[in-house]
Amino acid sequence: MTVALQGRSLEKSFGGVHAIRDVSFTIEEGSLIGLIGPNGAGKSTLFNMFTNLYPPDKGTVEFFGINLAGKTEDEIARLGLIRTFQTARVFAEMTVLENVMIGAHLTVRSSPWAEAFWVPSVGREEVGIRKKAEALLELLGLSRFADESATNLPMGSQKLLELARAVMAGPRVLLLDEPAAGLNDAETAELARLITAIRHAGTTIVVVEHNMSLIMGIADYVLVLDAGRLIAEGPPKEIQANEKVIEAYVGRGLDAVLAEAH
Amino acid sequence: MREAIEIALGGILQGSVFALVALGFALVYRVTGAINLAQGAFVVFGALTLYSFQQTFNFPLPLAFLASLGVSLIVGLILGAFVFQPALRKLPMGGMILLTGGLLTFFEGLMLIVWGSQPYQLQPWSGFAPVNIGGIHIPTQGFWDFGVTAIIIVVMWYILQKTTIGKALRACSENPAAAALMGIDVPRMTVLSFAVAAAIGCVSGMVIGPVVSLEFDGGGFFTTSGFISVAIGGFGSFVGALIGGLGLGTVEQLAAGYVSSLFSTTLALALLLIVLIWKPTGLLGSGTRRRIDVREASVHAFREAVRLSKRGAIIGGIVALVVIAILPFFLQTGGILSSIVITGILFFALLGLDILMGYGGQVNLGHAAFLALGAYSAAIMTTRYGQSPIVGILVGLAVSLTCAAILSSITVKLRGHYMALATLAFGLLVDSIAVGATNLSGGPSGIAGIPHFSLFGYTLDSQIANYYMIWGLVVIGVIVLANLVRSDFGRALRAMRVDPVAARALGINVPKYKLMAFLIAASFASVAGSLYAYYFQFISPEMVSTNRSFELVTMLVVGGEATLVGPVIGAVILTLLPTVFQPLANFKTLAEGVILVSALLYLPSGIFGGILAALQRKRIQPIETMPSAVESKPARETVAR
Repeated sequence: MTVALQGRSLEKSFGGVHAIRDVSFTIEEGSLIGLIGPNGAGKSTLFNMFTNLYPPDKGTVEFFGINLAGKTEDEIARLGLIRTFQTARVFAEMTVLENVMIGAHLTVRSSPWAEAFWVPSVGREEVGIRKKAEALLELLGLSRFADESATNLPMGSQKLLELARAVMAGPRVLLLDEPAAGLNDAETAELARLITAIRHAGTTIVVVEHNMSLIMGIADYVLVLDAGRLIAEGPPKEIQANEKVIEAYVGRGLDAVLAEAH
Repeated sequence: MREAIEIALGGILQGSVFALVALGFALVYRVTGAINLAQGAFVVFGALTLYSFQQTFNFPLPLAFLASLGVSLIVGLILGAFVFQPALRKLPMGGMILLTGGLLTFFEGLMLIVWGSQPYQLQPWSGFAPVNIGGIHIPTQGFWDFGVTAIIIVVMWYILQKTTIGKALRACSENPAAAALMGIDVPRMTVLSFAVAAAIGCVSGMVIGPVVSLEFDGGGFFTTSGFISVAIGGFGSFVGALIGGLGLGTVEQLAAGYVSSLFSTTLALALLLIVLIWKPTGLLGSGTRRRIDVREASVHAFREAVRLSKRGAIIGGIVALVVIAILPFFLQTGGILSSIVITGILFFALLGLDILMGYGGQVNLGHAAFLALGAYSAAIMTTRYGQSPIVGILVGLAVSLTCAAILSSITVKLRGHYMALATLAFGLLVDSIAVGATNLSGGPSGIAGIPHFSLFGYTLDSQIANYYMIWGLVVIGVIVLANLVRSDFGRALRAMRVDPVAARALGINVPKYKLMAFLIAASFASVAGSLYAYYFQFISPEMVSTNRSFELVTMLVVGGEATLVGPVIGAVILTLLPTVFQPLANFKTLAEGVILVSALLYLPSGIFGGILAALQRKRIQPIETMPSAVESKPARETVAR
């Protein structure tokens, strides 16, 4: 098995807060990984460290054997590591369709010169991107809003739009930051189907999520963070039975907390 | 040695004004996070109102001083409450720079109408005889100057550190959202800071008025100098503003005294660029760091994504082509046709500016500098070296692209307002070279005797020939840029403007796209500049000065940013109307300022964008329900059954 993403002894502090302490992990190509943990566990911080949005204080992240240290976010994207954001970042002042089409930026071969004079290959490429984008919108049920400003969509649909945009980039590894936030149950089920479909098309996926049932339903391996540490990892079944995980989520019981507070 | 000390003292005098302007900058910046380019205009305004109260109304000095102070406070309060504060809620920070630039233009226009274009010098407050200390002559006004500066600084410090209002002001600067939750009236504090900054500017103008002569358009100089001071000292740091201002004044006067005034301006701008590259937060850091997330994320009201439909674009294009083709048959050769040619030249430059500003989101306050580079290259190549006009255009392009590449590599890492001000500084640098480097540019009187444009032995010496060539080029430019804008390049530019972080996450190389946008803008402006020189057969600094830069920005904003063809409306309004209504020419600067400010406040997508949006609103129904919510309803009913 090829290793897609590997973290070695990662550390990150903000001022005096140790957000991530000594986290190491290995993600194999083709797998669907769930990254879970209670609020403030450091999930998003770890996620932002994958793409150097927060460069690690210590430790390294390797992407298919390439050390990502010192690489800019766009260089990392060019290697094939594409992410979405916790709160959807769709491009305002662009239509829904354009938001999906810009996802294909990395696949575009035409130079700006060719585009300026609209040589025949540019037209073909544009039609190809447009068709693919329209197909994705159709799949997400957003077709009828194709020409609408993206920010006019409700939050849940914006998250789906962001997912479609990331898929357009043809990533080797896709990082999804809380994709189900703002979706209702029916939409979440739809999303689970979609993520599984993307995975079967050959993309490695890492999902940060609060929604346990979603993660346990689709992931084949789960990493659990608590207070910046990796406290457990394994297949969903094992994680669900893991005492440390239960304690981290449910806490030590109300009595213990109240006792401590007094 | 005595001479050096006297020059340095003059420098400190000048520097104390810079320091006060910088203090005004720092105050407004700390409370609102916005840079107020109109700050320098208050200096001139203060001096000129004092002059009028003294000379026209024969007020004694103390009364005239208080009257001027009162006027400036009232003007500051009105502008703060009805322009600055509402704008702050609507516009992103780049828009705020344009808005305050519009206010600066407004003031220049207003002062041109009220006081005319001649320079004014006030009477010294306590006689002309200088004090002699150890053989060194110090003008008595110098003591007034230092005294007033010191008093203002102490009072400001006391208010900010020791009073409740000061605490409220500082709270606004650190976290406006939290300040509002604590019951502080943030809008009122904003207006107050704006008015106090205006008053400080006016007072500094009143004390420096007897030492230097001031005229209606001097505000730009004080704004730039004040900004350089504050950038050197550190944004939002009052001590930094003081040190930066005094240092800059001294360095400038020494450079002017021992080398030349051209060198002094160049040195000041070079100093700014060095600090911006080496230590963007300024020498003393930025004081308290503003929480940019709190305000910048929430205020930005985005424009609707309006697109011309394919059919609309084709119909519009054909109509435009027909109009361009037959228009000359309905007009006689003369003023109006000439204006239309000039409109075409400026529109060509605006096409490039729209790619950079409208699509790329980079505020450029020095676009006319590239017009100047194109125009002067053409003029020098044809008149001095006997080259053909096309060589002039190519040399201009080479010079412009080189400058644009250097400027872009310097500014690419800078945050929004630094970028805008670096372009402003570049524009002023080119201005000062055009005026000062007499051997090269012919100085203020410019270069005459430039030949008409000619190609393959055919000379465009008639208005009609120029009309068709320039509007032909405009058509080609529109088609080429429209292609760029509707393909991946245009999408990447727009994505980068609205959210650089998300754009990078998709693999968009932001610095590269910023550079390309800058190069496109520079080339279009440069070619337009060369054609401008060939059409007029003459070029002088004021034809391509920083005022022209503001005019271009106004045309762009009024016509509609990110619409490519919209700016032609702005170009027509600001070029044709003054030609048609000649008596109004004197009001042009004032009108420009008013138009720019009102467009920013009330027409965010410009005239063209507004028309498009109105057309589109009829076709598209607003979204009422979430798409999947509609689809999931039947599913739930099935379950219920």
